Order: sequence, then C-alpha cells, then structure tokens
Amino acid sequence: MPHRELTHYAVSVVGADRPGIVAGVTEALYKLGCNIADSSCAMLAGEFAMILIVSHKKPFTKALLIEELKPVCERMAMTLSVRHLPLGEEDRKETLGEICQITVYGADQTGIVYRVTSTLAAHQINIMDLQTKLAGTEQEPVYIMLLEAVLPDGCAPEAVEQLLDGLKQELQVEISVRIVTPVEL
Amino acid sequence: MAVQPILKYPHPLLKKMAHRVAALDTAIHTLVQDLLDTMQAGPGSVGVAAPQIGVGLRVCVVDVSSSRHGKDNNHGLLCMVNPEIISRCGLAVMREGCMSVPDYTGDVERATEITVRFLDSQSGLEREVAASGFEAVAIQHEMDHLDGVLFLDRVISVSTGLLRRKSYR
Repeated sequence: MPHRELTHYAVSVVGADRPGIVAGVTEALYKLGCNIADSSCAMLAGEFAMILIVSHKKPFTKALLIEELKPVCERMAMTLSVRHLPLGEEDRKETLGEICQITVYGADQTGIVYRVTSTLAAHQINIMDLQTKLAGTEQEPVYIMLLEAVLPDGCAPEAVEQLLDGLKQELQVEISVRIVTPVEL
Repeated sequence: MAVQPILKYPHPLLKKMAHRVAALDTAIHTLVQDLLDTMQAGPGSVGVAAPQIGVGLRVCVVDVSSSRHGKDNNHGLLCMVNPEIISRCGLAVMREGCMSVPDYTGDVERATEITVRFLDSQSGLEREVAASGFEAVAIQHEMDHLDGVLFLDRVISVSTGLLRRKSYR
C-alpha cells in the first residue's frame, strides 16, 4: 500500500517485565487494524521496552490509538507514549557509506557513552544501533558498549580507529572497529 | 542470451529443493547463459542460482573476481552443475544481502574454507575447487538456493548478540 494512504505512529511501551506484554500490546494493535511496520523490543535490566512504528490506513487518529492502548498499558503498569510521524519519517533513509561495528569496553566510569558518541557525531558518523551493558563484579564493574554506525562518504574505518585512539588512551578502554558493510550475493 | 527477472520471496520456488541435472544438454547451456547474463545485469551481483530465475534445477554461477572482497582470492567464473560441498572448515560471520530478499541484510555464519565438487558446464568435466574467504561464502550462499534455503533461515542474531549468561544449576 502506498505510504500516502497510510498514517504512521511511533509507539513506546516500558514497564516491569512479565509474560504477556507483547501479546497484550499487539492484541490491541491487531484489533485496531494497525500494522507493525518496524519494531524492536528488549529487556533492559528488569524492564521490558517496546518501540514500534505502526501504520494504519487513513483516516485514523492518534486518539483512537491511545484509547485502545492505554487500558492495556495501565493494566500492566506500563508507561505509554505515542507520536504521529510526519510524512517522510516513516522510511529509513538509504545509507551509502561503510557500516562499522564499534566495540568499547573497560573499567566502568561516567561518560564513556557520551565521550565516544560525541566524537563520532563531531565527524558526521551516524549511529544506527547502540547497546550498552554493565558487566563484571560490583567491586570491578566493566562497561561494554556495542554500536553500529554509518561512515560519511569517503571516511575509512581506519580513520575512525585513529579518531578514537585518543579516547582509548584517555579513558583506558579497549576500542575496536570492524567493517560490517553487507555483501550482495 | 537473456537477462531473467529475479524471483523475490515469497515466491514458492525459492523455498523448494531443486532437482539434480541428468545431463549437460542444450537446455542446461542456455540456463547457464541466462544465469550469467542475469548475474552481470545485477549491480554488484557475484552469483545467481537457477531457482532465483524460476528454474528448479541444481545449477548456479559464481564470480567474485570483480568484487572488492573477492578480487584477490578467487577462481574466476564458476558455472556449477550439481555442486556438492565435500569438505568445510572454519567459521566466520558476514552480513549478507540477497537479490531475492531485497532491502534487508543479516549476519550469517558460514565456513571459511570449502571444497566443492561439481560438473563444470564450460568444460563438461567434473571439477573440484578449494575456495576460501568471500568466494567460499558466495558459493555456500548460492548453493543454499538449490536447497530452498535463504539467508533469513540462517540469520544468527536479531541484535548484536551480547546477552547476559544464564547461571547453570
């Protein structure tokens, strides 16, 4: 169905994990006739977080969507947020540059994510996916960050490694960069 | 010579086991030529399997010699009839895309070195090739099409794959 006949919303639901969250939320969407165009759900600490891009044939309203989702979320004590997507935001822009996976880990300290990502942002390196975990022991916590980013045209992965080399020294963390640009077969 | 349209999933033929070729006849030579034409027409394509162009036979072509990942390590053009992998070792992950599953890519784990035996449609002789690196990945990907297997069947992780270990009791 062409996009102009559809209206899109970003829906997020977060709350204490338990069985039935996905089933509850998607049942409400199904009853409304919504499609899940894109989604990612994950357990973060003891919370279950759902982020969904849903679409519905026009005419449709945000109020209708909230009316159906709110009771489900309230029943499970989950927070709900719904945002209407303006035209043009419903599709992922095609990426042209190399895709890199960057791994950062080391003794936990404040600011690892900020320092790494602000360096990347300053060089127009766009993050597509990012996950962080706190591992290790209480005495020796280890911070792990995995991210995927698109390099701007003409930027080589070696250049990214060099870019982050200063931080590696300063924060005393391990940083590695590898290309994961897909191969067409 | 003819560039054939590439079938896209959910076309049922892409999930079917292809049949062995009984003999190298004119029809097979035409099929191989169609596969070559189709591969060369696909931007950046390094291989095509017969089921992708609607023919349920165990035939595929691979050529990674002009791709950046395979240009230094390859056997040139391989026109493979009834290919079989007779040995494999090593494992590596590559992010694969496929003309039959447009728009999406996924991380797939495959052997890094393989030996493949096939009937070479160009010489008419049986041949064994020891391939490694990207060429090995491409051969395994195309041969999967002969078994009705798509990279989607082999995606190893929906995310980056860092998960808290279970405690074993």
